[in-house]
Amino acid sequence: MRIVTRWVRTIVALPLLALALGASTPSMAADTVNVYSIWPENWARPMFEEFEKATGVKVNFVRFSSGEALARVIAEKTNPRVDVLFGGPVETFAAGINEGLFEPYKSPSFARLPERFREPSGQWTAIADDPLVFMTNDKFLKENNLKAPTSWNDLLAAPYKNMLQMADARTSGTAVTRIFSILEVNGRDEDKAFAYMKKLRPNVQLYTKSGGGGTLPVGLGQAGGGIFFIVDALDTKAKGYDVTISFPKEGIGTAAEGIALIKGAKNPELGKKLIDWATSPAMQNQFAKYKINFVPAHPDVAMEPSLAAVIKGANIFPIDAAYAGANRKHVVERWVAEVLNP
Amino acid sequence: MPCAVTAVTTVSAPAIGRDPAVATVVIALWALLLLFVVYPLFTLLGRVLFDHGAFTTAGIAAILTDRHQVRAFWNSLLLALLVGTGGTIIGFVFAFTAARSRLPRWLLTLIDAAVLLPLVSPPFTTAIAMIFSFGPRGLITYELLGLKGVTVYGLVSTLSSEILTYFPIAYLTLRPLLGAIDSNLEGMALSLGASRWRVFRTVTLPLCIPGLANAFLLLFAASLADFATPLILAGNNFPVLPTQAYLQITGLFDLRGGAALSFMLLVPALGVFLLQRYWVSRRFYVTVTGKGAGQTPFDSISPAVRVTLLAACALVAATILYFYALLLYASLVQALGANHALTLRHYRVIFTEGLRVIRDTLIIAGLAMPLGGLYGILLGYLVARKPFVGRRTMELVSMVNYALPGTIVGIAYLIAFNDPPIELTGTALIIVACYVFRYGATGIRATVAMLQQIDKSLEEASQGLGAGSGTTFRRVTLPLILPAFFTGLGVVFIRSMTAISATIFLVSISWTLITVRILENITELSLGPAAAYSVLVVVIVFVVIALIGRGLRWFRAPGVIPVTSMFGG
Repeated sequence: MRIVTRWVRTIVALPLLALALGASTPSMAADTVNVYSIWPENWARPMFEEFEKATGVKVNFVRFSSGEALARVIAEKTNPRVDVLFGGPVETFAAGINEGLFEPYKSPSFARLPERFREPSGQWTAIADDPLVFMTNDKFLKENNLKAPTSWNDLLAAPYKNMLQMADARTSGTAVTRIFSILEVNGRDEDKAFAYMKKLRPNVQLYTKSGGGGTLPVGLGQAGGGIFFIVDALDTKAKGYDVTISFPKEGIGTAAEGIALIKGAKNPELGKKLIDWATSPAMQNQFAKYKINFVPAHPDVAMEPSLAAVIKGANIFPIDAAYAGANRKHVVERWVAEVLNP
Repeated sequence: MPCAVTAVTTVSAPAIGRDPAVATVVIALWALLLLFVVYPLFTLLGRVLFDHGAFTTAGIAAILTDRHQVRAFWNSLLLALLVGTGGTIIGFVFAFTAARSRLPRWLLTLIDAAVLLPLVSPPFTTAIAMIFSFGPRGLITYELLGLKGVTVYGLVSTLSSEILTYFPIAYLTLRPLLGAIDSNLEGMALSLGASRWRVFRTVTLPLCIPGLANAFLLLFAASLADFATPLILAGNNFPVLPTQAYLQITGLFDLRGGAALSFMLLVPALGVFLLQRYWVSRRFYVTVTGKGAGQTPFDSISPAVRVTLLAACALVAATILYFYALLLYASLVQALGANHALTLRHYRVIFTEGLRVIRDTLIIAGLAMPLGGLYGILLGYLVARKPFVGRRTMELVSMVNYALPGTIVGIAYLIAFNDPPIELTGTALIIVACYVFRYGATGIRATVAMLQQIDKSLEEASQGLGAGSGTTFRRVTLPLILPAFFTGLGVVFIRSMTAISATIFLVSISWTLITVRILENITELSLGPAAAYSVLVVVIVFVVIALIGRGLRWFRAPGVIPVTSMFGG
């Protein structure tokens, strides 16, 4: 009996000892910048490794989807844990501005960027551009004798019933960009745009949490098609899934991807170094090397030829930041009330 | 927190004079509960109810009157009720089969392994396997049965996935209990001429009622709190509250609304808890009396029933094994569904880029496991055995973090421990504390259920002979409730390796977890690494559990009640 209790005591005491010895926080080295990345790890990691190679500054990062990353930065507002918020559609950054999360900073590239790629006071700067596309499963198209959709109205066809997947506007920047695309092609007539979305609703099998959430089901044929950012769609294709990418002739929106310095950052100088690097050709020239299909934001960086070939001839328009910022909240609320929960 | 302070002072009056050891532990536990359960919750409530220092209920009222949120509330209740019932039934069938049908040991081990699989992997891996198998292009619905246009999203699939994921908790709660029931009781009833069915109905089943109630409560709470499974499987037509709360917080940045949604869940969770307390407390059974008698093996079930039970178990076990074979396959091919060339690439990725995550997770689980196990038996023992004032309150408080959806616990911890005086965000301690006070609950419930089976006279005899309560606990009670301790250890470790809902908010730049990486991988379209991580988690947990089982067998001394370890020993 005694041996039992002695043993129990030992296995309980060991970790207490470990905790007491301070196994909790490894100290952060002075040459390390801390980052929340909204870009998936398989794209963010090579970028950060290149940054370290170029500057000797280490990047310590965790990846979160845009909503989660923003919620964390808000929760940590009084005591920020990271220096930089990296990647993710700029409308996420716009929401962050309302919460007062960012420290304005203008990198050397700032002045060279087109207006839609920078927040006037420097609260965020764009590092890439990401148009939406239609992506459909080849086998699904063949079985239903369909051509890849080339109009928003093509998605209303009967074979698509319960076969589309796209993102949920509550969590995903992709979804918000999609809704504003629909508003734009309907001349910003909200009633007309919502009438279309309500008509589309029975064809939507699932609204996914993240923007790319539907790409795998479409790749596998669990869903017939969906609306995604080009970077996710091309990645699906590159993985070997048989999908077709197409664009609606009425046009489709594109969203810039941003970077921002966190207010109260512990390592602001290193953070600025990362922003300088990410907004310059130094980083954006690496996209092609790592097969990251973002459209570079910096005017000096040429688009990778195969990406340019996909986009060629497509009717792509930027989402007006002022209009989207002013209407985002009520449009999402209306979407939840009228489209998601009719 | 004035209520708690009164509790401590009133406790100390009768307890300290008589028994300083008990008083010290009670006060220490209260301090920990205040810090890690009450304080975060009140901080969060403050955030929800006060806007820049002014009291407001506007945000909450808006949520509570929204008919969609009300529908989500009823959906959650329905789901939890069905998961609780279905999971308890399946768990009981398995526990009963394992304990009573005199199976050969290898078969028992096989059943145990199959049963533990869903418990030892993140819940959404079952969900993903469901979609692969039963979706519009599912391996079973489309490839095998040729069905078209099947909808996988909704109540049925969410329910099946949650039952498969959580019924092992019921099994783990019921198995030691059935093992501890003196089979002589059943033997006597049988020899007095009762039919086997009547023995089961009037002897075995009533003896299991406290355990069944516990199992139901744990499953009900687990389902109420689960957001990962509905997130993937519930679809748009069956919204449930935890998912809504999660989306409200992470998507709409509406902490107040999300918290309000979560607090709606607290009402049914507490309701079930109180009902169970009242119901179980009126049924008090003692089968371990200290007046030990030899166990006579006998056939408590007929051959026909035995075959039926085995077939039922085999069916469930086969489903689980199929799901996990699929997972293993996904981790070994280039891209499931597109390129089925075999590769070890995904494992190479997780053992290079993912090495830090694996290390972090193991350290955290290794810390949480023994602490959670100790916390479980100590608190369970105190509230079941020691008559101190406020023990009901203590038991209630100890269940709060388990009953609350993990999302809300995570956000509460994040807000409460982000700033001085208690700055813990970014440390491993905050994750460890979250696991201990959230998943230690299983150990508490198991200890309480176990102790309700053990006659107090054993401890009274020890104390009558002059042993203090500390010595009595260590040398008499602890060995008797060792199975509950190991259940607690096992569950805390398993959950530390697999949980996500609370800790997704607590992982940080310095400490991150495998489960969070898996979810990220799934959303990043990297199914291969996600599957590889899942397989790794399963393997690690199995190894640790086998070690625990071995440890339990090792330390079992003759004369102790024939404890059945949770792992088929």
